[in-house]
Order: sequence, then structure tokens, then C-alpha cells
Amino acid sequence: MASDDKTKAAAENPYTQTYVVKKGDSLSKIAEEVYGDKMLYPKIFEANRDILTDPNKIKPGQKLRIP
Amino acid sequence: MFKKQSVFVAAIATAALMVACAGQKAPADAAIKAAETALAAVRDDAAKYVPAELQGVETSLTALKDNFAKGDFKAVLAGSGPLTAQIGSLKDAAMAKKAEMEAGMAKASGDWTAMAADLPKMVEAIQSRVDILGKAKKLPKGMDAAAFDGAKSGLDMMKSTWTEATAAAASGNFMDAVAKAQMVKDKGTEVMTALGMGG
Repeated sequence: MASDDKTKAAAENPYTQTYVVKKGDSLSKIAEEVYGDKMLYPKIFEANRDILTDPNKIKPGQKLRIP
Repeated sequence: MFKKQSVFVAAIATAALMVACAGQKAPADAAIKAAETALAAVRDDAAKYVPAELQGVETSLTALKDNFAKGDFKAVLAGSGPLTAQIGSLKDAAMAKKAEMEAGMAKASGDWTAMAADLPKMVEAIQSRVDILGKAKKLPKGMDAAAFDGAKSGLDMMKSTWTEATAAAASGNFMDAVAKAQMVKDKGTEVMTALGMGG
């Protein structure tokens, strides 16, 4: 599945988990928390390409989809 | 003299009885035919929706026919009224059950439409998470290998049950389809919790 398709699929799926970014969070930290492996952060980035342009730039309060 | 009179009276009485019986035969025959016609009109629906009640009516009709065969036309005529009422009740019961089943099926059809649109997304979301966790070097805190294996088995069960549900819907059995879809949903909720997808 292409990146755009993954983003769309996650966005349209009401069962996709959501995560509200907290101060001090990074995608790798979130990936470690939900997947147990920080190296899987690109999965979260790909699912949120419509709101993220850089995996290193996330803001507190942002609502991320966790595929 | 008296004896001759008695024989004569008995003969007259017998003849009168025979005439009376013969007079009851045609109405008795007509009553049975009317009952058969009335029952034939509701038999298919009754067999489908209220088979036990139909059996009771069939038994009553058979008893009436037995009485007719024995020449007991009076009993036939006496029993035809209650049988007619019994057939009327059978028809009402069959129609009520049919309406209830049709309403239930219409509701199930609507429920299925909603579930058919929704549950594949649940399966997809869980599949996505299972695929990602399968690539992780270790599992997240609070999840051990047994829990992850249980979630994978749960997902397999969801997929096979969903296949059964869609097959039931395709054959028009929406009640069965909805029951199976509900099993998928319940299992999915359990698996999502096990995978930490509740948030």
C-alpha cells in the first residue's frame, strides 16, 4: 500500500487508535509506547502524512492516528 | 298384537333414523370439504411458521374424517364448528408469526447493512496493528507473547466468522448473518483491548 493510501485508510477508519501528542513526545517515543519498538515510528508518520510534513516536528495537542 | 305394534314402531324408528342419518351425510361431507379447503389455504404458512399448531388441526380433521367413515355424521357436524374455529385461529397465528418473522428479517437486513460497512474496518485496523507488532523487536509494555498470540488467534477467528456471516447474508439469512457479525464485533472489541488500541 502506498503512503497516501495508508494515510487515507487510517483516516477513514473509525477503529484506528488515536493519540494526542504530549509535551516532550516524539514519534519514536510514541512508537516505543504503542508498538514496543521506536524504530517503527515511520508507520505513524505514514498514517499522518496529511498533518505531518516532518517526522521530527510534532506539536502537543496534535491528534495522531496510530495504525 | 302388542308385539306386532312394537315391531312396527321399531321399524318406523329405524327408518326415521336412517332418513335422518342420510340427511346428515351431505352436510357432514360438505363440512369436511369446507374444512379441507380452508386448511389448504393456510397449510403452507402454518407449516412454516406454526407447525405444532398445524399438527393439532390436522389431528382434529383426521378425527372428523374417521367419524364420517364410521357413519357418525352427527359427530362430524358437531365437530365441524370447533374445527372451523381452530383453522381460523391457526390462520391468525400463522399470519402473526409470519409478520413477526418478516419484521425481524427487515430489522436484521438493516442491521447487516450497517455491520457490513463497519466491521471490515475493524478487522482492517486490527490486521494493521498485528502486522506492525509482528515487525517489532519487542512487544509494548504490558503485552506478552501469549497475549499477542491470543490477539492473532482472535483476528483469525474474526476473519473466518466474517466469511460465514457474509455467506449467510448472501443466502438471505440476515438473522444468522447479524448474529455472526455480532460475534466478530465482540471478539474485535476484546482483541483491540488486548492490543492496546482502546485509546
